[in-house]
Amino acid sequence: MRRYFGRKLITYLITFFIAATIDWMIPRFMPGDPVQGLVSRTGGISPEGSAALVQYYNNLFGLDRPLYEQFLNFWISLLHGDLGRSVFEHGQPVTQAIMAAVPYTLALLIPAILLSWWAGNSFGALAARRKWLDNAVLPVGYILTATPYMWLALVLSFVLAFSLRIFPQSGGYGYNLEPSLTWTFFTDLFGHWMLPFLSLFMVMFGGWAIGMRNMIIYELESDYSRYLEALGAPQGLVRKYAFRNAMLPQITGLALQLGVIVSGNLVTEIVFSYPGIGNLLFNAIKSEDYFLLQGIFLFIIAGVLIANFLVDVVYVIVDPRTRVGMRGGTA
Amino acid sequence: MTGVVTGEPKKGLIKGPPGGEATAVPAGRKRGEFLYFALRSRKFLLATGVLLTLIGIAFIGPMVDTNDPLAQNLLPMRPPTTETGYWFGTTYFGEDVFAQFAHGLRATFFVGLLGGGLAAVIGMAVGFTAGYRGGWVDEMLNMATNVMLVIPTLALLIVISSYLQRSWPEARGIPFESVFVGLTSWPWAARAIRAQTFSLRSRDFIDLAKLSGRRGWKIIAFEIAPNMSSYLFMTFILLFGGAILIAASLDFIGLGPTQGISLGLMMFNSFSYGAALLLGLWWWFIPPGIGIMATVGALYVMNVGLDEIFNPKLREI
Amino acid sequence: MQVGKSRVLALLAIMSIVASVSACGSSSATASGATSNETYPRAETLYTTGKQWGAPSTWNPLDPNAAMGVVGLQYETLFMYDPLKDVYTPWLAESGTWDSAKTTYTIKTRSGVKWSDGQDFSADDVAFTIGLAKIKAVGSNLWTYVTDASATDASTVVVKFSNPAYQEWAQWLYNSPILPKHIWNDKANEDILKDVNQNGVGTGPYTYKTASADRMVWQKNDSWWAKTALNLDVKPKYIVDIVNGANSVALGQLLAGGLDLSNNYFPGIANIVTGGYGITTYFAGPPYMLSGNTAVLVPNTLKKPLDDPAFRKALATAINTDDIVNKDYGNIVAKSDATGLLPTFSKYVDTAQRDSLGFSFDTAKAKQMLADAGYVVGSDGFVTNKDGSALKLTLEVPDGWSDWMAAESMIAASAKLAGINIDPQHPDYNTVVADRNGTADKAPTFDLIINNDVQIGNTPWTWYDYVFRQPLQVGAAKNRNFESYKNDAAWALVQQLDKTPVEDTATMKTLCSQLQKIQLTDMPVIPLWYNGIWSQSSNAVWTSWPSEKGAQVLPATWNGYWQMGATLMLTQITAVPPAK
Repeated sequence: MRRYFGRKLITYLITFFIAATIDWMIPRFMPGDPVQGLVSRTGGISPEGSAALVQYYNNLFGLDRPLYEQFLNFWISLLHGDLGRSVFEHGQPVTQAIMAAVPYTLALLIPAILLSWWAGNSFGALAARRKWLDNAVLPVGYILTATPYMWLALVLSFVLAFSLRIFPQSGGYGYNLEPSLTWTFFTDLFGHWMLPFLSLFMVMFGGWAIGMRNMIIYELESDYSRYLEALGAPQGLVRKYAFRNAMLPQITGLALQLGVIVSGNLVTEIVFSYPGIGNLLFNAIKSEDYFLLQGIFLFIIAGVLIANFLVDVVYVIVDPRTRVGMRGGTA
Repeated sequence: MTGVVTGEPKKGLIKGPPGGEATAVPAGRKRGEFLYFALRSRKFLLATGVLLTLIGIAFIGPMVDTNDPLAQNLLPMRPPTTETGYWFGTTYFGEDVFAQFAHGLRATFFVGLLGGGLAAVIGMAVGFTAGYRGGWVDEMLNMATNVMLVIPTLALLIVISSYLQRSWPEARGIPFESVFVGLTSWPWAARAIRAQTFSLRSRDFIDLAKLSGRRGWKIIAFEIAPNMSSYLFMTFILLFGGAILIAASLDFIGLGPTQGISLGLMMFNSFSYGAALLLGLWWWFIPPGIGIMATVGALYVMNVGLDEIFNPKLREI
Repeated sequence: MQVGKSRVLALLAIMSIVASVSACGSSSATASGATSNETYPRAETLYTTGKQWGAPSTWNPLDPNAAMGVVGLQYETLFMYDPLKDVYTPWLAESGTWDSAKTTYTIKTRSGVKWSDGQDFSADDVAFTIGLAKIKAVGSNLWTYVTDASATDASTVVVKFSNPAYQEWAQWLYNSPILPKHIWNDKANEDILKDVNQNGVGTGPYTYKTASADRMVWQKNDSWWAKTALNLDVKPKYIVDIVNGANSVALGQLLAGGLDLSNNYFPGIANIVTGGYGITTYFAGPPYMLSGNTAVLVPNTLKKPLDDPAFRKALATAINTDDIVNKDYGNIVAKSDATGLLPTFSKYVDTAQRDSLGFSFDTAKAKQMLADAGYVVGSDGFVTNKDGSALKLTLEVPDGWSDWMAAESMIAASAKLAGINIDPQHPDYNTVVADRNGTADKAPTFDLIINNDVQIGNTPWTWYDYVFRQPLQVGAAKNRNFESYKNDAAWALVQQLDKTPVEDTATMKTLCSQLQKIQLTDMPVIPLWYNGIWSQSSNAVWTSWPSEKGAQVLPATWNGYWQMGATLMLTQITAVPPAK
């Protein structure tokens, strides 16, 4: 067990180190001067003001120190949870900007992933058994999974928000409300959450449903299933075992899909201007704020690595063979 | 479920023949048999039909509707009519949506081919080498694959794109976009090919080939690969679809090509500059989405259809 | 394992119930608008957008990137300046007078003004604020001509000058916020800009309510001094400024009545204004918007043949600006005067001189001017350098600035007709800035750029400082004289202009006339069009917006505009009575 997790951890740590180093290099090896762009965008300042601002920002971003010192400072700050400062936000800490955005993103991702995984697998398994459901689920599933995330978001926004005016079009909560523990605020928050959630949910649902359906069929065709049937075991028992076996690739599939899901979340948030990490990333790209980009990128990687690790843990719990294998037995 | 980045839907969609064995049937009979089932597979025929229609639009469309997709010379914001130049309506800026759609399809197919093809080549190179050689080569390549798998591809592409756009403006063209996409979407293919190669490696005919003195890469090229040809083809199809989706996302975020038009760029323009959502210009963003959906969906269905064709156990008679 | 269709159905049922509840909740909140549960009642709230790019991150009044409204709504200035009438209105100051030698300025501060924490506003605060300008980080050159500033009593400040720059001082008076000494005294050091100052203390009509990543909310200060002193009452109880997102979102909100004032640039807004959607702009017809800054074509005079005034003048004559105004902007901008001065400075334009020395679009004349200057037309139809080498000039604008991208294509097209080969490019913003500024070791590499940095203000000196400033700046801080034009005589005149008292319009006119002569003869920059103070308003909830027929104030929420009268806009708008 320790060896298994140990290897995984080492891979993740190496990945993180490589990613963080590339990440750190980007703003500093970009041609051009980020401070220059920022000062230039600031309007209405005198030449003296301009010079003072340049010096202020160079000092703030630590750009007036030698490169090796910057690299060292980067890792030290990182361990303290300081991801640097944002050019887009005029020198305010990146961590602050990210932390303000994270709750929205997690509120979208976690329910969407869990619910779509569960619902998709359930429907897929059902479809594998009943022909009429299969004929309905299969084409819908293929269409949904082939749908680009941002397009579904655009369509949902257009139909439900613009045409039918059931849900709001953008934002995290209404501009006429303040965060408070009131029913009004929560329903408003929920209303704004619904469309981006639905958009993510539907695309992912299609994929899981199709995948599960195929896996179940595959398992039902396999030797042990045939054998059980030949022995006269009840259909329910065979399906139970088939389901268990089909789940496993779905779990690893979840880990593999994390990168995809993050990207899907990004474009969905953009369409709805939902104030999560994706929207922040979009703004960072638009304003060429490489420090903010660097911070977000690192944060996403850390998140994905942690999620991968969690999936590995779940897999070990769910699949007894890995545990046996670790104890030295053969599956 | 592929969504945006990698072409790998979960294991359910991409299946090698069960047990990881390639069907080792004499070549002539194999081909005849496959063709027979191909022509009878509803899924395969449907998918091929859709793809051919789209390719047809991409080729013939610009010849029929000769408007420049980026020329802003039509009446703006008109819904679709039967008038030439207005088949799909016009944009906020007075551009011909159908012309954009047809040209965009071309760009999209190009990205899919080049990006998917490149990813396939790299995936095969890495997968075959790791699977065949084993040992420490396998370990290293495995590590590299795992690292690439975990890094969210879109984030990486954003960083590379932003960097290159600063120092090398020509990089913001469709060919380069395809190359980036190809360079980053190979990991799952490499892993899958590696697994298949592993199982094939221990087969008798490989030992025979080794005994007769064939060199490593020749064995891979002439013995292993042909036995996996159906699998490789299906992998390519998925990479093709995946490349299209990634490129569309990149375009949508604003990191797409600065010249020309693509389906993702249409959606980006409609959303960012054209207020399509707020002014109700649905004809501007619905067609490109349907185009991508139809292409990728057809590819997935074709993939499943091929799976059934090549794998007797799955055939529905 | 019976997965349980029932469980799946139960899930669907729950989700649909929750969805419908939330739909009802959110739609009632957004649609009807006047529900009792919302924190900011629609009829008392002003929704604005257009200033804030990015989350509000600092409320420090000395930081030029402070959030919307910090200087103006929260912190105020000694005077308010109206550029349309060229009038200084005493604001926090009751009066300001020069002595006969014009080296001492006495400010009488207004009595009865309180800071939002209850403390009295006094002359001490003013003297303290002037003293803050000594801090390098504040970036002010005030103390190069101010020698002393002290409060002689609770309401009098005496400021002593040596070789005073009257025009810049006048600018300081209306532009710079006064800070409370009792709060900022301890922070008066080189780190002063690092204080984010959330929820600060000011004298203004609004106080900080809340801010988040996508909005800035101000609440009315009921004890604002101007209510009694000047009989001015700001109407909205809340001002909610929304961070800029996609332009399309802002336009949609404006049309739907969810936004009241937008200071964004909307291409094609003229169609919307004339289309009966209830959206109004300052002018009912072209140019719809007030002119706020001049867009100029800046040539890099360090490069050949842009170092040749004759070539530059020919280039100016070759550009069809009318096309840009009509086709690119749909008439929401106006063509610039040949001198580049904004319409509010028209009294400083020597019209006779401008008519004789100025330029206008004339392709044939441009060709003639090129020929006369010795530029030979090559076989490809384009003029070549004097040494015979091919001549191709690149014109750079930032990528994504669609109106400028269209403008540069039009400039290139019209220049081509006269034989000048211009290649329009649009690299990303930071690259354009890098090419424009150069570095300490390398001169700027651009050929031509479009720039519009000089905003509307109280003095034409700002424009001439922009065109003629010396010594030439280099690197990241460069924000004047991008064309690197060196003319000592001109710079001497500019400095002289700075030192001319603001009331002495006669001398100002003379100096401006001389400067215009140099500018029109040498053409260091080519003025193209006046960019607008983009402002469009919805009349669904608030009406009586500034207009040429109504209240003539600047309708902008941008930094620097509150002090130029935009605050008055808030006192003049009226709420639309709710429909029955």
